Formats: sequence, C-alpha cells, structure tokens
Amino acid sequence: MTPHSPGTDQIDTLVWIGFLAAAIIVVAINFALLYAVRRYRAGRGSEPRPAQGGRRSQSRVAGALTAFAAVIFVLSVVFTEKAKETPASGSAGLAAAEGEPLTIRATGQQWLWRYDYPNDAFSYYKLVVPVDTAVELELLSTDVVHTWNVPELSGKRDAVPGKTHRVVFRADEEGTYEGSSASLSGQAYGSMRTAVEVVSPERYETFVKQQKADIEAAQDRVVELIEAEAVP
Amino acid sequence: MSAPPPPRPEIVIDGFPRRRPRWLELATSADHKDLGRILVGGALGFLFVALVELLLMRLQLAIPENTFLSPVTFNRMLSLYGATAVFLFAIPLALGLFYYAAPLQIGARGTALPRLGQIGVGLWVAGATVLYAGFLFTPSEGGINPLAPLTEVAFLANNGVDAWAAATGLCTLGFVFLAIDLLTTLRNLRAPGMAWRRVPVFSWAAAVSSWLLLAIGPVLLAALTMLMIDRNFDGVFFADGSGGAPLLWQHLSWIFFSGAYMLILIFALAAIAEIVAALSGRPLPGRNVVMGSLVAIAVLGTLAWLQNMLTAPIATGWMYFGMLMSLALIVPFGLVFFSLIETMVGGALRMRAPLLWAVGALSAISIGLAAELSHSMVAAAWQLKNTTDATAATHFALVGGGVFGGFAALHYWFPKMTGRTMGETLARLSFWTTALGLFLAFVPLFFAGGLEGQVIDAYKFYGDDGVDAYNLIASIGSFVLAIGIVMTLVNAIQSRTNGAEAGHDPWRGESLEWLALSPPDPHNFDVLPDVRSAHPMRDIRAAIANRTRSGKAPARERQPVA
Repeated sequence: MTPHSPGTDQIDTLVWIGFLAAAIIVVAINFALLYAVRRYRAGRGSEPRPAQGGRRSQSRVAGALTAFAAVIFVLSVVFTEKAKETPASGSAGLAAAEGEPLTIRATGQQWLWRYDYPNDAFSYYKLVVPVDTAVELELLSTDVVHTWNVPELSGKRDAVPGKTHRVVFRADEEGTYEGSSASLSGQAYGSMRTAVEVVSPERYETFVKQQKADIEAAQDRVVELIEAEAVP
Repeated sequence: MSAPPPPRPEIVIDGFPRRRPRWLELATSADHKDLGRILVGGALGFLFVALVELLLMRLQLAIPENTFLSPVTFNRMLSLYGATAVFLFAIPLALGLFYYAAPLQIGARGTALPRLGQIGVGLWVAGATVLYAGFLFTPSEGGINPLAPLTEVAFLANNGVDAWAAATGLCTLGFVFLAIDLLTTLRNLRAPGMAWRRVPVFSWAAAVSSWLLLAIGPVLLAALTMLMIDRNFDGVFFADGSGGAPLLWQHLSWIFFSGAYMLILIFALAAIAEIVAALSGRPLPGRNVVMGSLVAIAVLGTLAWLQNMLTAPIATGWMYFGMLMSLALIVPFGLVFFSLIETMVGGALRMRAPLLWAVGALSAISIGLAAELSHSMVAAAWQLKNTTDATAATHFALVGGGVFGGFAALHYWFPKMTGRTMGETLARLSFWTTALGLFLAFVPLFFAGGLEGQVIDAYKFYGDDGVDAYNLIASIGSFVLAIGIVMTLVNAIQSRTNGAEAGHDPWRGESLEWLALSPPDPHNFDVLPDVRSAHPMRDIRAAIANRTRSGKAPARERQPVA
C-alpha cells in the first residue's frame, strides 16, 4: 500500500518503526534461545553451572527494556499527533470556504456506505472527492459498528451508532482507492466495500451537481408516478 | 536428656476399594486431581473441535470468492471457534493444570473448598453443553467478541447470541469458582515452612491467575447479564438511543479478553519456568523477579484493554493510556524471557519433549508479542488493527501459550497424572509438524494483513486484493498445524495406557509434586517435609546424597522428611 495522504505517510513510517522494533525483539530472543539450546545440551558429563545471583544483570535488563519502551512510546505519540492533524488544502485543490476542509457525511449501514455531500447530493458505495483538498468525513452509523477503512488515504475509524467520528485526508493523486469495512457487521460484511474516486476539482463540482440533478429528477418522477397512481 | 519432639500426627490411608464404576467415581469426585483431569481432558477434546472449525474457515478462505461456506455459516464457525478456543480450550487447560498441580506443589492433601471446585467444573461442563446444544439449532453469528449493538435482537434475532452469552457466562462463573478454591487452597494449605517466597513459580502463577479471574470474571458476567437483559427484557444497555452505549460493551468485554490473554501467557510462562529449571538442572536465578513480573503482566495487561479500541470514537488521551500500559508490558515480559534464557545458559539441558515444546512456546510467544507491539502504537494500529496481521499476532502468542506452552506442561505433568511418559518419538514428530504448521498458517497472514490490508473475520476476499497466494499457503499450513496437534492428542490417549512407566520423579523436578506417587494417592502425600527453600526436592535429594556419603544419619531436626 502506498500512502496517498499526509496522515498515511506518518502512519506508514510508524508501522515500519514498529516492524523494526519487533524484528529486534524476535531476533534477540530467538538467537539467544538457539544459542542456549545448541551450546548447553546435556551430555559428555556436563554439569550445570551453579546459579549466580544475577541481581545486577536483571536491573540492567530492566533499565534497557524501560528505555526501549519509552522510546517507542515517545515516537508513537509524535507520529500519532502528526497523523491526526487536519491537512491544509493545496493549491491544485478545491477552494473551500476559509480554508475549512470539505465536509462530507459518511454513514455506515448494513452493508453499504452512504456519502452525503454539502449540496445535499448523495451517493452509495463510491465517494467522489477533489484531489489536493482537505476532506473531513463525519462518520455515523445507522445500525451496528462499521469501520471505515481506505488504507491509502486514512487510518481506520469506527462508525459507532450514537457517536460521531472523524476521518481527515488530502488525496495527493487522482485515481480510485478501494477499501473494505473492517468490523464484523453481520452476514454480508465480507462484501461491504467502498471506493474513493479522487478527481480534479472541476470534475468533482460537475459530479455533485449532476448527482443532485439526477436525484431530484428521480424523486420528481416518483412523485409523478404516485400522483398518477401508477405505483401501487 | 530431653525427649525427642513428638512426631507430627500423620493420617495415612492405604486407599479404599473402589465400589462404583470408574466413570461414576470420576464424575462425582471432588478431588482436585480428578477435576483437573476432567478439565485437561475436556480442554484437549475441545482443542480438536476448535481445529475442525478453524479448518472449515480456512477451506472457505483458500481461494478468492469461495462459496464453500455461506456467509452465515462462516460467521457461526467464527463465533464457535472463538468461544471454543478461549472458554473451552485455553482457559480450562490452564486452570485444569493449575488445579491438578498447584495443591501437589504446595504439599496440600486436597483443596480447601473441594465442593466449590466441583461446582466450578460442573458449570464449565454446562457451559460447553449450552454452546454446542446451541450448535444444533442456531449458533451465534456475532464473531469472536461480538460487538454491540450487532448482538441486539434487532440485528441478530435468533437465539444464537443468547446461547453464546449463556455458555460463556456459565464457563466464566465456573472459572471464578475454581479460582476461589485455588486461592483459598494456596493461602491456607501450604506445607510447613513454605512461605510465599518459597512457593513454586507455577503455583504462584495459579494464585496470580486466580486473582486475575476474580477481577475480570465478574466484569464479563456483568456485561453478559446486561446483554441478556437487552435481548430478553427490552433493556437498552448497549442499544443506541434511550441512554444506551454500544461502547460500554467494548470496554467491559475487552477488559475480560485482555485479562484472559494475559492469563494464558502467565500460565504458559510459569509452566515453562518449571520445565526449564528442572530440565536444565538449575534453579531459576531470578525467581523473585519472575514472580513479580507475572503480577505486573496480570495488572498491566488487563489495564491495557483500551489497546483494542484504538479505532473507536474515544479521546486520544485514552488511546495513549492504553498504549502506555501495553508498552509497559515490555519490561515484565522481557524480564521473564531473560530469566528463562539465563537459566538455560550454563545449564545442562535435557532436550526431552517438555523442554522442546517449552522452547518452541517461547519462540512463538516472542514472535506474537513482538508483532502485537505495532498494534498498541496508536497511529500504526490505525492501519494494522482488524487486519489479518492481528489474527497472526494473536495466534502466534496464544497458540504459542495455549498449545505449545500447554503441551509442554502436558508432557511435563503427564507422568504425574498417569504414571506413564508420553511417547518421545511421536512428541518430537508432533512438535516439528506443529511448528511448521504454525509458521505456514500464520506468517502469510502477517503479509496479507500488514502489506495488503486484508480485513479480519471476513467470509471472503477478492481476486484483485493481491492476497490469493498468502491465503492459500495459510490454508495449507493450518492443515499441517492440525495434523501436528492431533499427533499429540493421539500420543496422550495412547500413552495413558501404553506409555513407558515413568516413576515418581522422572524429570528430577524441584517442587513437592514429585515427592508424591505417580499417579498420586487420593490424599496426595503420606508424609510431608519441612520446606526450607524454594526447591524442596533438590534439598531432599541433596540430603539423601549426603546421608549416603557420610554413612550416618543427620540429626533428626536436620532431616527434610519427618
């Protein structure tokens, strides 16, 4: 996964720091185990050495481990604080009002994501956003816990009924980014996917206008049919 | 000339003739050894059941967009697998071995509250029955930890969730009863001279685990009660609106599951400590440090429950608290690993089956815990949480603790429980197969989750996700893992009647269970020594050697066995 937003850049770096720390731990412990098992096999009349009271070595190890944990803690806090910052929109992006991010409401429901745009247009499954623009998703859920998850653009966030959660990102490149919901939400959970289509600001404007017009036309058509008593 | 001190009164029973069939005797017994054997035997049986469920899920996930299991069946298998692995295998295996070995280790003639223990085991059996009786009509579809409000009637209307809640609740209540009995025993019935600082590490771990269960068990029981009220009496504890809070379930259940995770590791590490000390011929150099670390693991590990909620809508400060507790665990876990390796370095290692499994367990746990590290680093967890990377990390740690550590303990105490040793050749074959299976089954999932972000618990994945090869290898690996585990189950069944006669102290152990007969008499001990150190059996062997060498008996008060 290549990060495509400032926040995911930070996340990606921290994931690699975590991987490095894990690799150090795994290598150290497993080499020590391997060494002990190969070198100190019983046999040839070998006697166990008497145990030494290793109080000093233990406090040294404890100190080293504490320092290791503290470094990881500090690094994690630094990168987390950076990752959750709301990025500023770039010059190629949509000129949003007073530098505020473009706010879109994302509602998780069994088993689709619905996106409500500022002009009252909405779309299901696919979210269309302008490139190089700070976007804020207001996460809601109408039923159970869903997790919004498009790893190239943002970390995971849970949509919990009754609570609002926030996703912020600024896509740096046009294209389509896919993701699957990441909390078991019932039978069709495995196919609860979403896609974020990043387009130029102009195409975004056209899309939301067209979408709104299409929805209104469809609604008018339904009203027409009801009035004509064409629908039961 | 003063008269010798009167000998301590000892009650010696030579065994009553058996009047009832053996199974009835076992089913109605309140003896800790019988109850321990029921728990261990039952747990191993449910390990097989959990494997079958795992294999069915892995078959479904072998190829993209497979239709081998329907989504509903997959979710049912997932729920059953989680409940079986945690409540019917890992915790009862740990508790069973604690319950069997700890009273023997501290030189008790039984447990303090045997009837309570008997009820505990009975409740566990009842829980298992309810879970699998539910299987006959509709198992839960909620997943391993079914997050509210999915568990509300509005979303899962059939009685699967009720069966799940009743089953896990009955099991948990049983565990709490067993914990009360164990604690009372450990506090009151230790042999003369056995101060807390001289208690064997495994018995100490039994006390720590019991305290832990007393803390986390009621939390889950409360949450399950609320869930039952929600589902059956129009409650709104976890339903959104009307003052309900779906996140409350997450807090309460994760407190339990985080604690249970730690309990399995505490059990495994303590059993490994006994095995390493006995089979390398050296006492643990940092006994007090290990004992303190086990307490720290229990406390910090449970306080780290928020580590599971890093993507939930909670304040970042709470996330940092969860991370702080998780990262603090590095210190006690590191110290335990250091002490165990320090014991082996400079020892004379007899690489028999228990030590082989123990070393394998340490290796697997180290990989699992190191991989969990990223899942507590807040921003990194935002990417890795709920991916198969988490599945792999958890399985490395808990298969490492529950299966490898559990099997190490099983091979170690099997001679005490049955009087026979488990077959060494099959044990070795099983070990290497299981180890290969563990790596094949879960290392690919690290890649699928860490690099490609494959999500957890999903009944299918798509061909263009780039995870086909990883999942296929994982599915093949899980079959290798299952074959390896089944070999040990077969080995245990065969060795019960056909294994080599073991003798009473086959490993030259350090603690008092090796003074008892194999298998021990119902009353455990005819005579008990005065305990003067943390390794009484070592003292007894030294005294015997000394007496044989000098040719004259030491003064009466210097004799370890009265």
